[in-house]
Amino acid sequence: MSLVVVGLNHRTSPLALRERLAISADRVPEVLSNLARRHEGAGVVLLSTCNRVEVYMSHPLPADELDADIRAFLSGWFGIEAADLADALYIHADRDAVSHLFRVASSLDSLVVGEVQILGQVHSAYLMAQAEQTADKVIHALFQRAFTVAKRVRTQTTVGAGKVSVSSVAVDLAESIFSALAGKTVVVVGSGDVADLTLKSLVERGVRGVLVANRHPERAQRLAEVYEGEAVPFDDLRNHLHRADIVISTTAAPRTVLHAPDFEEALKRRGQEPMLVIDIAVPRDVDSDVGDLDNVYLYNIDDLEQVVVQNSEARRREIDTATDLVETGVDRFMEWLAGLAAEPTIVSMSDELELIRAHELRKTLDALPNLTEDQRREIDYLTTRIVRRILQRPATSIKHEIGHHDPHTVLHLVKRLFGLEDVP
Amino acid sequence: MLAAVYLTFYAGIAAYLCAAATALVYLRTADARTLRASSRALLAGAAMFVAMLAFRWATWQHLPLTTMTDSLVLFAVLAAMAILVTVRTPNTQVLLSFYLPPLALICLVNALVAHRFLPMEPRALRSSFLAVHVGLAVFAYALFYLASMTSAAYLCQAAHLKNHRMSWLVRHIPSLADLDAALIRLVRYGYPLFMATLALGLVWAFIDRDLLGPFWWASPKVVLSCVMAAFYAILFHLRCAGRLRGPKLAELVFIGFFVLIASYVVLSILDLRGYSFWNDPS
Repeated sequence: MSLVVVGLNHRTSPLALRERLAISADRVPEVLSNLARRHEGAGVVLLSTCNRVEVYMSHPLPADELDADIRAFLSGWFGIEAADLADALYIHADRDAVSHLFRVASSLDSLVVGEVQILGQVHSAYLMAQAEQTADKVIHALFQRAFTVAKRVRTQTTVGAGKVSVSSVAVDLAESIFSALAGKTVVVVGSGDVADLTLKSLVERGVRGVLVANRHPERAQRLAEVYEGEAVPFDDLRNHLHRADIVISTTAAPRTVLHAPDFEEALKRRGQEPMLVIDIAVPRDVDSDVGDLDNVYLYNIDDLEQVVVQNSEARRREIDTATDLVETGVDRFMEWLAGLAAEPTIVSMSDELELIRAHELRKTLDALPNLTEDQRREIDYLTTRIVRRILQRPATSIKHEIGHHDPHTVLHLVKRLFGLEDVP
Repeated sequence: MLAAVYLTFYAGIAAYLCAAATALVYLRTADARTLRASSRALLAGAAMFVAMLAFRWATWQHLPLTTMTDSLVLFAVLAAMAILVTVRTPNTQVLLSFYLPPLALICLVNALVAHRFLPMEPRALRSSFLAVHVGLAVFAYALFYLASMTSAAYLCQAAHLKNHRMSWLVRHIPSLADLDAALIRLVRYGYPLFMATLALGLVWAFIDRDLLGPFWWASPKVVLSCVMAAFYAILFHLRCAGRLRGPKLAELVFIGFFVLIASYVVLSILDLRGYSFWNDPS
């Protein structure tokens, strides 16, 4: 039984190629059933995200034979020349394939290490394979183990802790101050891409009130309409500042537009409730003295980027620990897989011993005709237990040895010891 | 019976120290299992202390509340109960790392002085009515202690956010809003208990005014208690009026508890005759 993954990701292929190979969720079943038809008796999972397209397969054939076939399938399915795909596609077989999946599910192979979406995407891919009945015993075990490893990485390391984009750091900060953002109010001063992204993230987390102040009233009105907010006159901003739990400032003004007295007044009017001020403008919109006020938490673009750098470094520091967890998971899975290869031999051993037991039991019972039915049953039960106990230790040892030594040698030796030469 | 008292007392101390140690380990490992272990150790410690008080009660046939060791044991039990209620949600469990180390330190101090008090008969309170007074006082102190440590967590979180240090701690400590709500809740529950204690004490002092003398109301204990009651009342009023919030409020709540404890210690050292609640054997 071989395990193989063939695919491409953000590191091996440009966006243009990934776009051509992207498979929408509604077409995944079709691709899965096509692959399953081509490979009778194989288990198949298809993972398609914006950063990767990968086919996971468990198959009786060796990995190198599968590689060529999957490449040919992808090339034909998407109408892309095989030569164009050659450099972008990678193949990992057996242990490397398992390690690859565990790293993917644990978000160690992601563009942004530690991001959380990938685990959900791997889970969806597995569920689709289940629904299409293309997941066999090995695939089930492989993916279940991948989810366990990913969960362990997430809980036992901080690889997913700390956000690594300016907008998500701003949301993190807001949650560290206000807990739930539901019902909070944001005042946006000016406009810009980062401000839009931040505002969008905040609204997604439950922020309800959006006030927009801009020197160009029509721009303020436009942005306010997008978020069902309220446009306020720029010159009247100070009179609305007390309504803001969060202020995002991003004007192109050459000088600061908000000063400490403005916030002192706002704090007084809002009963000293804390305010988060995010100044993304360059040059800065908010006087640095504002940061000295109690209950005002001021972050400018440098502060936010510094937090992004700190978080990225913290994630990188955790990669080694996470990799150790992944490798431990891979070791365990490979042991299980090796044990699977020993199953036919163990079943034959059991059958052989059962034949001997049945033969000897019959001889004994024939020699003791005066035994009652209960006594016969008891002797039958006794011999069954003895055979099971005898078999238990070798079965465990074979599974263990096969994971640490050459499986062919171990199985060959066992077959010779028990006279099972006919077993495949 | 004395052996049982010693056994349960030192087992309780060990459990509190274990609880504090595991809560500190959490700060290093971020493994949620350590916090669960910490909670269990705390519960076991509190159970041991309750058993110890019960053994003392059974031995001397009256409530053991008047020695320093007994008071601190009762304080540790009530604080543990309040802590377990406060940290019942997963996102507040990290507060164990703030609550438990100082509490373990108090227990350790208690362990160091206990050899003087454990074999001794605790002086009996003059009336069972005073047992309620002492019990309420210790419970109020326990809640103020928690409020004080919650303030420490608030100040820690606020300082990190102010200085743009998004450390591991910032992500694990509850938000400023949650900490603010928790500390106000603790003061809100502790203050009525403290006032009830004060009222009961004043009633007792008034009844026994012949014993205490005409100027009983000017005694250091009464004056300090009234000052502390006024202090917390002013804090609470300013907070509700929206004039005091955030780090300044947290600093005052943090300091408030230590002033309260300092006054208790000073009065205990002075042990002013005539203003004590117990029957003097002489």
